[in-house]
Amino acid sequence: MVSDSPLLLCQGLQVGYRGRPLLPPIDLRVQRGETWALIGPNGAGKTTLLRTLLGLLPALGGQLVHPGSAIAYVPQRSELDPSVPARVLDLVRSGAERGWSFAKPRWPFASNPAVLQAMRDVGVENLCREPWLHLSEGQKQRVLLAQALAGQPDLLILDEPTSAMDVHAERQVFDLLGELRDRRRLGLLLVSHNLGALSRFATHAVFVDKDQGVVVPGPLAEVVAHPAFDARFGVHVAQRGGDAS
Amino acid sequence: MPPETPAGLGQFFDAWELFRDPALAGVVAGALLGFLGVFVVARRMVFLSAALSQAAGLGVAAAFWAQIHLGLSGTWLGPTVGSTVATGLAALYLVGGTRGARWRPDGRLGWVYLMGAAGTLALGTRIVQEVQDIETILFGSAVAVAPADLHQLLVVASVLLALQLVGLRGFAQVAVDEDGARVRGLPTGLLGLLLVASLALAVSVTTRILGALPVFAFTVLPAMAALRVAPNLATAAWLAAVLGGAAGFLGYLAAFLFTLPVGAAQALVAGAEVLLTALVGLALDAWHVRAVHRHAHIHGPGCGHLAVQHGDHVDYLHDGHLDHQGRDGHHAGEHDPPHHH
Repeated sequence: MVSDSPLLLCQGLQVGYRGRPLLPPIDLRVQRGETWALIGPNGAGKTTLLRTLLGLLPALGGQLVHPGSAIAYVPQRSELDPSVPARVLDLVRSGAERGWSFAKPRWPFASNPAVLQAMRDVGVENLCREPWLHLSEGQKQRVLLAQALAGQPDLLILDEPTSAMDVHAERQVFDLLGELRDRRRLGLLLVSHNLGALSRFATHAVFVDKDQGVVVPGPLAEVVAHPAFDARFGVHVAQRGGDAS
Repeated sequence: MPPETPAGLGQFFDAWELFRDPALAGVVAGALLGFLGVFVVARRMVFLSAALSQAAGLGVAAAFWAQIHLGLSGTWLGPTVGSTVATGLAALYLVGGTRGARWRPDGRLGWVYLMGAAGTLALGTRIVQEVQDIETILFGSAVAVAPADLHQLLVVASVLLALQLVGLRGFAQVAVDEDGARVRGLPTGLLGLLLVASLALAVSVTTRILGALPVFAFTVLPAMAALRVAPNLATAAWLAAVLGGAAGFLGYLAAFLFTLPVGAAQALVAGAEVLLTALVGLALDAWHVRAVHRHAHIHGPGCGHLAVQHGDHVDYLHDGHLDHQGRDGHHAGEHDPPHHH
């Protein structure tokens, strides 16, 4: 069931650096139950758009609102420095912190139902005391998902959730994401280079290409039929499973 | 100064009244800088503390110079004020940068470090009466600490540790994943500023008392040691405080026993802590690998380990001992290695 109120709304959003727009203005409306894929070749502006949507970069113009909805970010696994020690429980707990909540005292053994549920939902409840450093790539991805879910978000934004994974592990991650989306009525927006997997999993897409000067958002079928997309990835899509990088 | 003749532990504790304040100053400074240092090392800001400690040294030297050559004296231009002002200015420059400047942050760190060290040495030639103090500032060769300096250090350490405790989870989250913390609405900019301001204040006070070398050592080495073995940042911060305090005391004691400069001895003890925890860390890693292997590996025909008939069951030779596999395939225990006659 898809509700009408958007989780994320962009109207004429302009993204770029130092006052210089990188892409044409973007209109986007992400709703519950939808899965949006952010696709484009390397250096096309995906990261700039992603960071602007997350509030990590200021927008140069237009509107970016997420009315009443909580956003959680699932970074690439490689973004966590392995030399900084953290256990699974520490990471998932940190996902439940918002704003200034870190300054409130917390009893060391206090359990947060949202944290426990998040760990159960992704199947890492038995890894509580494991160090991040010792986890497999698939386990790390599940822990980052649990961290995001601990904040009880409405919209999950994921950066390359299946990078450096084999086909089997990648399929497991997409299956888990689909299950979580349906069970928790989430909206998903993810960056991925795997067009083959996205064509089976995503309902919508935003194709960005700064070299062509285009941003094409909409239902997946419409986006892949767009001439700009076809010019860049037509052969790959025809082969179902190409790498967009 | 430490005695020229070989000294023993008995002599040290016989004269404890004399050594109490400097030893305690080493413990408090080591604990404070160790705690702060965990977040400095985790955020890859190690050379920030080196640059700030050199700037603090320059501030102290400048205060001596002003007292001698400009006739300025009193509370308002004492060495502590000089080190605080110099460290504060350096921190502002390093964190805020300057509008239009094209230097990279590491270049600015290098500039502050070199100007601090060279400026302190240059001013040292103009304040010959205070040259002993300049050596103290740079290398930490002091053996005596004034009661007022110790009280000031205790107050500053209490305030900064209280601040760190309140913000501990926030500091840890910013160190582990700054982007994630920003998305969750944590005041990452303010937390970063608080960390640098705390470090600047701690460095300015401790450099005046202990010298730049041990201050840099206390900020980096106990944190490195703790991060190697602690399960998370909060535990690492407490462990680094203990290790820093221990290095402060044991370094002072070693300086007395072996007639060494205090700052160098404290830095060496902290460095030895890094080596010790590296060994402990290696042992923990090996134990973890064995534990994972045991849990994950089920012995059976063709598993790669030698099968040994043992009474009514088969054991498997693994890592110098015999693993007993239960009938349902689960690991059931270990035996001593087989004896060969």
